[in-house]
Amino acid sequence: MSSRPYSLTLRLALIFALLAFALLTTLGVALYRELEHELVRRDDAALISRVDQLRNLLNDGNTLDLIRTKPELFQNMLGNRESVLSIAAPGQKPLLLVNPANIELPTVKPVPKDHILALSDVQHLPGLNGVPFATVAASIDSGDLGSLQVTSGRLMTERTAVLASYRLSVYILASIAALILAVVGYLLVYRGLLPLRHLARHAQGIGVSNLAERLDVRGAPKELLPMIESFNTMLERLAKGFVQLGQVSTDMAHELRTPINNLLGETQVALQQDRSIEGYQQLLASNVEELERLARMLDNMLFLARTDPTGALHQRQALSAADEVQRIADYFEGLAGDVGMRILAEGEGVIWAEPMLLRRALANLCANAIKYGAPGSDLLIQAVPDAEGVHLNVSNQGETIPAEHLPRLFERFYRADESRERSAQSNGLGLSIVATIMRLHNGRYSVSSEAGVTSFELVFPRREA
Amino acid sequence: MNILVVEDEPKAGNYLLNGLQELGYCVSLARDGVDGLHQALETPFDVIVLDVMMPKMDGWEVLRRLRKEADTPVLFLTARDDIADRIKGLELGADDYLIKPFSFAELVARLRTLTRRGPIREDEQLQIADLQIDVLKRRVTRATTRITLTNKEFALLHLFATHPGQVLSRSLIASRVWDMNFDSDTNVVDVAVRRLRLKIDDPFQLKLIHSVRGIGYRFDTQP
Repeated sequence: MSSRPYSLTLRLALIFALLAFALLTTLGVALYRELEHELVRRDDAALISRVDQLRNLLNDGNTLDLIRTKPELFQNMLGNRESVLSIAAPGQKPLLLVNPANIELPTVKPVPKDHILALSDVQHLPGLNGVPFATVAASIDSGDLGSLQVTSGRLMTERTAVLASYRLSVYILASIAALILAVVGYLLVYRGLLPLRHLARHAQGIGVSNLAERLDVRGAPKELLPMIESFNTMLERLAKGFVQLGQVSTDMAHELRTPINNLLGETQVALQQDRSIEGYQQLLASNVEELERLARMLDNMLFLARTDPTGALHQRQALSAADEVQRIADYFEGLAGDVGMRILAEGEGVIWAEPMLLRRALANLCANAIKYGAPGSDLLIQAVPDAEGVHLNVSNQGETIPAEHLPRLFERFYRADESRERSAQSNGLGLSIVATIMRLHNGRYSVSSEAGVTSFELVFPRREA
Repeated sequence: MNILVVEDEPKAGNYLLNGLQELGYCVSLARDGVDGLHQALETPFDVIVLDVMMPKMDGWEVLRRLRKEADTPVLFLTARDDIADRIKGLELGADDYLIKPFSFAELVARLRTLTRRGPIREDEQLQIADLQIDVLKRRVTRATTRITLTNKEFALLHLFATHPGQVLSRSLIASRVWDMNFDSDTNVVDVAVRRLRLKIDDPFQLKLIHSVRGIGYRFDTQP
């Protein structure tokens, strides 16, 4: 992965240009080959027809005389400096040699007299300075002079020039086309990506103050829809988290208000006039109570803010479920006895947990169970092991919690009964701490409340082998 | 007992100084790390209370340098409830720690534990006024009356009886008796103490368990 971001537009434009150039050049080369082939065929045909004509002409004795007396006539007949013509008897000085360009004539095996000349009889030679040279030789029966050899050739200067210019044209045209396509491609891609830039601008405008805003799906191309949708879902989640976070801060501030108000008010009233030592002691003790409440709340908030589970997971131990439920039962024995509740604790198996966190979770559940349980009823604490781990169950008899409250019980500061007096013992964080502890242990937590029995279940996953 | 308190926060330093002095300890106060280290190296103290967050030289640095020269027990105070922080302190050679805010009674109890020399000899028989405790047989009698206690009630009484005259905070009691090392939102300790009182104090003239308002409980023959 390269760390430098590349431009999609530039990349696509370049690909367009390269493709255009490659395609047009291929096409040009193909056409060029066709043209070259055609030109060669035509030139060869011209050569053959000349030699054919000479064959016919030389059958006439007068022609031979004419060659001897007026060779310049033939020179003019050929008409240009690229052609070569030689008529000679085998092994003798040529009767006629027209070679204005002084091209060195190669020795070519002549075609026999009775053979009709065909294109394949034309010999192609590298020629001069890379310019191809085509030649054809034929034997002629000229009556009185016997057998003569006619050689006609042509240096293909003109053809080479035509082809060269054609080649140049192909390259120039292909280059121009590539350039045009690159520019057009760039513009098209740029235009095509406009919705993306639009989205980016829109997204940039979304902040904490307008988290409710969503990216506009209208006008966006189909390809961008999944991205916009995921982005909007993400915004949804963020907005929800933000609201919750704000709610928690607000709730916490409200919760802090009560103890601070008590501290402030009581202290101010106490300072209003001189009091007995006893009075001051009472005030200070009351202050300590409120301060302890504040400290506990602080401790709980910090605990809930702990998100890194590694600390807790590293300190897990194998704990006897029977011991743990018994410990909790002992701990709450007196408190439960005060309201005539009986604690029934039973359990087996091994819980894989951080001991303090496990006890804290269980203690929070039991404290709730005693607070909301019906006086004189039984509080049940059970630990049941299975393949998944250990299921801890704390259930009490009491008022059924309405179903709509159940999913929210584990939220911070959530209270099923808003009208319930906020006691100094409760700050609405107990169950959210339980939830956090279970998350730290990768465990599960759930609550059910039916027919007067409210039951909380914690599942501590078993130790991974 | 000689105690050095290293604390830069003026109010905190003052109340620690006063509080510990009132309990009869000999206390020196250093207002920053440099002074604290200097004093710690000059004078042999029985225990050092060290704040971590201090200007000039923080508690970690003081501890690091101190440990090169002396092994005076150190209890550090931190405002950060961070496991890594605690581990760091203990690795540097601190003996115990408390997280702010902490209860003063808790601090005193920890300091006592730190300075207790040698292994604790468990008394098999405890006698406070007319209360007798047979630790091995778990038998409690007051005057001539046999008192039946539950396991946890016995553990609570034993804790009180082994710390006569000391104020024990609720969190210390919860931690020693039930091994619950966190501040619970419940008044479990108060209820347990009330139940214990019902059995060992209420029927008798001389009360042994005293509430110390705002702090905890004290077990004493003196009111």
